[in-house]
This record gives sequence, C-alpha cells and structure tokens, in this order.
Amino acid sequence: MILVLCEEYDLAATWAAERLRERGLAITVVTGAALAAARWEHRVGRAGARLEFRLAGGERICSGEIGGVLNRLCFLPSAWLQRIGGPDRDYAVQEMLALYLSWLHAMTGPVLNPATPQGLCGNWRHPSVWAVLAGRSGLPTSPYRQTSADDPDLYWQAAGAPGPATAFVAGSRALLPPDLPAPLRAACLRLARQAGTPLLGIDFSPAADGTWRFTGASVMPNLVRGGEKLADDLAEALAA
Amino acid sequence: MVARALDELGADYRVFNQRHVANADIVLEIEAGEVDGTLRFAGEDFRLQEMSAAYLRLMDDRLLPELEGEPEGSAARRHARATHDTLYRWLEIAPGRVVNRCEPQASNGSKPYQAQLIARYGLLVPETLISDDPDAVLAFRREHGTLIYKSMSGVRSIVHALEETDYARLDHIRWCPVQFQALVPGTDMRVHVVGDDVHATEIVSDRLDYRYAKRQGGSAELRAARLDDGIAQKCIDVTRGLGLEFAGIDLKITADGEVFCFEVNPCPAFSFYEANTGQPIALSVARHLVEGSRGSARRSPSPSRDRPADGECLAAVT
Repeated sequence: MILVLCEEYDLAATWAAERLRERGLAITVVTGAALAAARWEHRVGRAGARLEFRLAGGERICSGEIGGVLNRLCFLPSAWLQRIGGPDRDYAVQEMLALYLSWLHAMTGPVLNPATPQGLCGNWRHPSVWAVLAGRSGLPTSPYRQTSADDPDLYWQAAGAPGPATAFVAGSRALLPPDLPAPLRAACLRLARQAGTPLLGIDFSPAADGTWRFTGASVMPNLVRGGEKLADDLAEALAA
Repeated sequence: MVARALDELGADYRVFNQRHVANADIVLEIEAGEVDGTLRFAGEDFRLQEMSAAYLRLMDDRLLPELEGEPEGSAARRHARATHDTLYRWLEIAPGRVVNRCEPQASNGSKPYQAQLIARYGLLVPETLISDDPDAVLAFRREHGTLIYKSMSGVRSIVHALEETDYARLDHIRWCPVQFQALVPGTDMRVHVVGDDVHATEIVSDRLDYRYAKRQGGSAELRAARLDDGIAQKCIDVTRGLGLEFAGIDLKITADGEVFCFEVNPCPAFSFYEANTGQPIALSVARHLVEGSRGSARRSPSPSRDRPADGECLAAVT
C-alpha cells in the first residue's frame, strides 16, 4: 500500500493519487479530516517504532503494511485544529505536532518527503539557507542580502510564489521544463540530495542577462505543473 | 561561566550581549553559496567570515527587558527583531563551530521522534505508547507494569506515575493522545557531552522526577560519576549524530546494567550540575570553542569545503 497523506483540499495531491493509480500503484488516500477523527496507537521501544491508526469507518492502517508515502501534510489537519480550544489548546497543538512528527518518521518505504521538525512534509528552509545550498550545489543564484534594517517577514513572503519555471526532483530523477538548460539537471539533483528532500520543486526566474537563476525551492510544490512525466517519476520513486 | 573559562584559556573572544542590541547592526551576504557580511557591536566591526566559533545562550528577543513598554511596531522593536533574525540566519549557515545551531536542536520538540533517532546509536529507549485509547493504555500497563506519563513535546512537564486513582480520568485522553512509558527503575545519570568530552553526573533522589524533588519535599544529591567507555562513546556518537556540539543526555542505568536514554537536551542548563559537582563543563565548552577557532571545527550543516579562518570566537549571552 502506498499512502497519500494530504488535506482534502489539496488538488495537487488528488491529481497525483489518480495518476499513481493509473500507473498501477495501490494507493490509499488519507486526508486530514480522516486523520482528525482517527484513533492512535504509536509505539517506540526495543522493537523499533510502529504505528496503528483506526479511521472513523473502522479501517486500520498499520505502519508495517505501508510500502511508501506521498506526504503532503505540511501541518496538523485543519479539521483537528478547528475543533480544539480552551486554555490547553496551545499545549495540545504542541503535543499533537510531536506525535505527528514521530509517527510520520516511523513510516517505511520511500517517503516523499520525510517529516522533519521544521515541517511535517519536509524542511521549510529560510531563503538564506536555500541560497547557500543552491549555490553550493552549482545552481546559478542571485546575491542574497539581509540586514538589521530589513523586515524579516519580507524574505518569507518573497519565497512564497513559484517562479516562471519550475524543475521537479522526485527520487533520482530531475524533470526540467523546456526553457531550462539541461546542464541544470545534475545541480537540481545535488540540491535535493543535500537538502534531504527527495521531492522538491526548484524555481527559476530569468535574470537581466537572459540566464536562468535559482529563486527558491518548495517541499510542497504544485505537482500538476509537472504533468504526466512527473507522475511517471513519482511512480518510479514510490515503487523503489 | 563559559566566558570565565575562555579567560582562563587566554582566548581572544567577544561577548555579544543581546540586551545591547540597540547599538548593534548586522549585514548578511550570500553569493554563490559563500557567506559573509559584517557584525557591528560594542564599537567594533567584525567580518562574519572571521568568526570561527560561537556559543549561544540567547533569549526570545521580544521579551528583552530593554523593550518592555515598547509598543508593537516601534522602531526599537523592529530593529531588535531584524537584528536577531539576521543573526539567527547567519548562525544557521556560518562555517565553523556553533554551539548549538537552531535546526538540530529541534528534534527535542518531539520526544518519541528523538527516541527513534537515539535508538540508532545503540542506546535503549523506554517502551513507549502514545495513544488516545484508554483500553490500549490499560493493555500496555498489563504488559509492562508500572507506567509513567509525561509530555511528548518540548513543553516541560513533571513526570507522574499512572496510579489506580488515575483510571477514572483515563477517558480524558480521547481528546488528545498522551505519552505513557514503562517505568525504568535505576540510577539517574545526566551526561554532558561537549565534542569528545564527557561529564557524567549521578543523581540520587527519593522522587520520581529529581528536577522537582525539593519542590515536592524530597531530595536530590548530585555526584560526579565514571561512565563505561562504551556508553560514553555512544553518548558522543548520538550527540554528533543529532548535529549537536553540546548536549545534556538523560540516562537511567538499571541494576542489570542496561542503559536507557530518555532525552538529548540540546540547550543544557549545565550550571546546576557543575555547581553541585565541580565538573568542568564550562571549561569543556570553552576548549571546544577555541579548538573550533583553530581550524579543527566541524563544518556548517550545508556541505562546505571551506576551512574556518583563525580568528575570534564569539560568545553570545543574555
């Protein structure tokens, strides 16, 4: 079984699940709403880590039966967050995040992307960190500058929008749109490897001199932009 | 304590006191993957590339006493926030030795997640169940005997044993899963690891959670201890494996000699242990910083072929 974990409104995840089924993978989609109503048993000890959760309809999902995961949960399910409150709300959110990080980490098989403390579907790095990683991977980058006079929030906002051209890395494959020169493929793979994110959207924008420059990366890219070729790469990565 | 130890070593260092942030400025520049810029404080300018090691004990800048009474969005608050944010960003990517960067500290925010990482290094972790099902908890208790429960996030909690009187409210866990663990009887040990230095402290207490023994009318006695070489090496390995330069590791050693690891603290408040035992933990930190400034430092988390330049080490304190 390959799990697709996503919020119910994640159209890219729904698109990916359909494409993966067309390619013969046994896909089970578990949405945030379903997880919000689940019952949990997560164990850690001498025998390693394992998870069993029971969905509201009675279906049991056990970590030992999972052969791979397309993980698009960037945070706790909205459905769960909406129904909790009271003076202990903040504590409950921290506890639930701790649980989610742990059980996602216990998933077996290829996981696109593994959960990290900096993001449940991968590390949401600051643009300054991406700038360093991208430069050291051999991607052409623009200079980055941040000072005491700048609003820190602006750097996150600038990182939000995807660029005019997005390359996708899925496992050992890098898919470049036609505009991007082929030599960037190897550097894109190096970036994903260094970042520890087997599924990565890498954005590029044209500079004034006509060359393409790295502008950002996303651990939760819009998969639809990658089309059928990306679906092929996802299927290969999850079936590995 | 670290600053005094640096003095003992004759190290050339500076202390960035965040309470003086109003008179500090930083410029961070990244080009082709290389990090540089300038940091100005206490009337001096430093190139970021010349900083070869740093020890961090920063508080939340929004709570600085110097900002008390400042309205949201004031010039002073904006400057403090922007300076601290840029400082943090630099420290996360700076080549050289940073004790400790923020990113690797975050594993401590989920104890069961961290336990999975710890287990890779040959240390046992307590049998743990996280559940919102009372029946599962009772079955776990029948399997493992006495259970304790505590928070699984970074929010501090007092460890409690699950008593029969608690069964009546076990239903409450349906609202949010709770972490239960099999009680591990034995001797508490706190191990401070700094690079390759290991300082083991045995704690003898009549309370389940020695940290709160006095508050609960009990006692906790600390004494320097000798750790088996194999265990010491595992402590070094797990610290390094988690990406940390300095850690406070909570162990329990059973009567059978099994060693369980409960937690790796990435920002250990070591002064309590040093004050009670005389163990030179601060000196280890100081030496580790100085060694980093001599070019034997670990690399930044981003792959880099740069060697840190000889230069000052910077200690940041509140």
